[in-house]
Amino acid sequence: MSEEEKFDAIVVGAGPAGSACAYLLAKEGKSVLVIERGSSAGSKNVTGGRVYTYALELLEPGLHAEAPLQRKVVREQIMMLGEQSGTTIDYVDYTYNRGDVPQSYTVLRAPFDEWLAGKAEEQGAMLATGIRVDDLIIENGKVVGVKAGEDEMFADIVIAADGVNSFMMQKAGLRQDITAHDVGVGVKEIIELPPEVIQQRFNLTGDEGAARLVLGCTEGTTGGGFIYTNHDTISIGVIFAPEGAAKRGKKILEIFQDFKMHPAVYPLIEGGTTVEYGAHLVSERGWNGVPQKLYREGFVAIGDAAGFVLNTGTIIRGIDLAIVSGIAAARAVLGASDGAEVGSLYMKELENLKLSPTMKLFAGFPNIIDIPRIPAVYPAMASEIMNYMFKIDGQVPPKMTKGIWKIVKKHVSLGEIMADAWKGVRNI
Amino acid sequence: MAGIWIYSEDTIIAQQLITLGRDLAGQLQEKVCVLTIYEQEVQSLIAAGADKVIVLKGDNVWPESYAQAIAAQTTECQPTLLLVGGTLRGKDLAAKVAARLQTGLITDAQSVKVVGGLLETERMIYGGLAVCTEVLNGMNVITIPARAYEVPVADVGRSGEVVTIEVKTEDVMAVGNVCPIVRQGVDITSAEKLVCVGRGIGKQEDMKLAEDLANAMGAEICCTRSVAEDYHWLPNEAYVGISGQKVKPVIYLSMGVSGQVQHVAGIRDSKLIVAIDTNENAPIFAAADYGIVGDLYQIVPLLTEAIKNK
Amino acid sequence: MATIIACYKWVLDEQDIKINPGSLDLDTSRAKSKISDYDRNAIEEAVLQEEKTGAEVASLTFGNSKAKQSLKDALSRGPAKAYWVNDELADKADALVTANVLAAALKKIGQYDVILCGEGASDTYAQQVGPRIATLLGIPAITFVSEMKIESDKVIATRKIGDCTEEVSVSFPVVVTLLPEINKPRIPSLKQVLGAAKKPTTEWSIADLGLTTEEVTAKNKVKSIKGFVMSRKNVIYKEGTPTDKVASLVASLTKEGVL
Repeated sequence: MSEEEKFDAIVVGAGPAGSACAYLLAKEGKSVLVIERGSSAGSKNVTGGRVYTYALELLEPGLHAEAPLQRKVVREQIMMLGEQSGTTIDYVDYTYNRGDVPQSYTVLRAPFDEWLAGKAEEQGAMLATGIRVDDLIIENGKVVGVKAGEDEMFADIVIAADGVNSFMMQKAGLRQDITAHDVGVGVKEIIELPPEVIQQRFNLTGDEGAARLVLGCTEGTTGGGFIYTNHDTISIGVIFAPEGAAKRGKKILEIFQDFKMHPAVYPLIEGGTTVEYGAHLVSERGWNGVPQKLYREGFVAIGDAAGFVLNTGTIIRGIDLAIVSGIAAARAVLGASDGAEVGSLYMKELENLKLSPTMKLFAGFPNIIDIPRIPAVYPAMASEIMNYMFKIDGQVPPKMTKGIWKIVKKHVSLGEIMADAWKGVRNI
Repeated sequence: MAGIWIYSEDTIIAQQLITLGRDLAGQLQEKVCVLTIYEQEVQSLIAAGADKVIVLKGDNVWPESYAQAIAAQTTECQPTLLLVGGTLRGKDLAAKVAARLQTGLITDAQSVKVVGGLLETERMIYGGLAVCTEVLNGMNVITIPARAYEVPVADVGRSGEVVTIEVKTEDVMAVGNVCPIVRQGVDITSAEKLVCVGRGIGKQEDMKLAEDLANAMGAEICCTRSVAEDYHWLPNEAYVGISGQKVKPVIYLSMGVSGQVQHVAGIRDSKLIVAIDTNENAPIFAAADYGIVGDLYQIVPLLTEAIKNK
Repeated sequence: MATIIACYKWVLDEQDIKINPGSLDLDTSRAKSKISDYDRNAIEEAVLQEEKTGAEVASLTFGNSKAKQSLKDALSRGPAKAYWVNDELADKADALVTANVLAAALKKIGQYDVILCGEGASDTYAQQVGPRIATLLGIPAITFVSEMKIESDKVIATRKIGDCTEEVSVSFPVVVTLLPEINKPRIPSLKQVLGAAKKPTTEWSIADLGLTTEEVTAKNKVKSIKGFVMSRKNVIYKEGTPTDKVASLVASLTKEGVL
């Protein structure tokens, strides 16, 4: 085996997890090869979305200042849609964009991923794009390298950062092919609008941004929508459980189209030009969707490949967890005195860096989100209640407690509410 | 004021260019001078409108071997403009002449106009996505596609100046084995009606749908580039696009064609464009006069029936 | 052992270019760059010939600083080295300038037996640079080639020129422009992509080539570049059963007089 064929580490996938890991390893003098399937880093990736800045700070203090990021999010919003109505809770917090490290930024993946991969290259990592890794090379039960087409490359550690349907994890025998139950399908559009228009419509000034999660837009299927403000574009999309959608016979694009056309949503994007479409699978199981083992000798999984995505219904996190797990893996590789230790050191680092405790804390949330009445009933019910509260037509309205109760009863039984509440409490 | 010069190794195309040449000559007060390597064509060129014909007499029958001879003539006489028939041979020669003279060369000009005393050309770039308009400076060479202009009505009694020059040809290249490409099918560029097949047709057997429709309509069949070059379901001469054939039928009807810019560039001159495709966002619909969003496997047979029953 | 130089152009991917409605100006801000499609065939052919005959292959391009990315791409496809004339003048270059610059670069490289070019660039498709280079270097050009063979000191090529094919043979040095049907460029393997980083590249500016200002100034002036938009009737039948839609279409086409 010639010098050219062996690296200290091979990272499969140049998304945020892979690039962050490669960055740290290369910085500390390790020889790293990052192999990316797409023609450029990020070309295969889709996000809502936003990135929480603490993760970039953790990778390298001050790094976020160089990154191509969009708006600093100060408005956190939740919206529940009725048929012709919507209720939006808008929490604005001006501490989020103050100081050296604003809490989060909305982000566009193509420039961001490319930039982060470029940073890893600057540190000395080699990046090969347009190459798909077909298999792992396993000798005596140990992963020793990867195979891409005819070529074999060897490394002390192979780091799988190849995303939600990780081929490498399957090849390593650490997981089966994902099932429809494990993932949601996300579809998204990026719509161009002048910054002033975005600022006006979302009540923002300068480079402030808004992040909104929407319920009740998936026509009864488990899932939700999202709207993020970028500098001169809006990211809007829907995620839902494919099984549910299939059962109801709704086409994904139809549901998405209805969401965009909803009278409470359309004015936000009106007049804009769609410049990009994207679709992607998203891990929906949280901690329970993380495979039992994330490593074996010579191999660890990070990012979406490890299932590190968090959805609490109010907040969705992926990119920061990806970066943190990349850092954890790098630290494990750097700290291990023996290749066999890397895996367990990695799990320890995930604890130290608070990733696994956080995911465990929210482990029950997918069960709440799964409650069928959440997308199907409660938003409509909430809208009806609001409608009742604000209706003035000269008639004598029913007494408030009676009126609200009547509406509630129309949508759910007491037993159902109790069951849902109990499930909610148990899983929080 | 040394003339509007015209050259093509294909005399009919040279005559077509005379139409344009006479138009420009009139506006610029110039004479039309046609170069030819065939002395027997002199009369037909004058009858078509040439004021002067220069016959380049050389030993070599291979048209390409006359490039430097033409360049030399052009250098000596400094015409305002040299129009070259845009066959592949013509483009080859035009580039060599332009390099020798260090002039600009506009390939496949879609229009040549005189604006404010200067020549302006338009041509397609970016695969047909955009039109580039240029103002010409100094002597230029322009290649014009075949059949862009009509052959003028012959004025048999017309007279003009004829000059015959013995020229040295470039003989370094050995040319042999000249084989006509047997046209496997109809010349779609002269078809009145066309049915076009795209990648929406899943299997070669399904081409029958297109054939039945074409028969019912009295149309010929053409296709997009990938159907010819990748799948080989039709010969290369049957594909329409910026690097393929350009068609100008009265009706062009496509099925399963998404309408990429490179393909649409070849159908622009169609009088009526009709499209059938499942994807309502397909670019072909923006380029169409009429269309149906639907499954072609359902729509086309129904359409064929409806047309037969008319 | 022959020296083969494959010329390529680093162009914007026309698929990423948008037309601004209204002004019809082109928006190239989101456009990625690529090696022009038919130039990939030229590089591939050079490498295939090298695999057959042991020739030496280099790539050559004229582009602005952004063309640096193209070097890795080109080298990963097989050439042993890359030459790059790096100059902002490339932005305003027409085929005349490009050919002048490439010819000067080839003279500076010194040794060239076969110069391969695509038959036209995917952005301008002017189909001139190859034969222009040949004339500037005083060597023959074989254009629109669908098949070629290299034999010790000559090229035997089949040209496909519209209504016929012809076989042409000529001794080195020669320029050959290639039709896309000549080969199917292979996708570089991982080792080739990695290997590219280690291959030598030579960078020149126009000043290094000894050209006059006139030789690097485009002759004609671009007056405008506007997106081509056809205004057609856009009557599209989307609703209803297939039978309904067909009936509507037939009615419309009958009215138009084409059926």
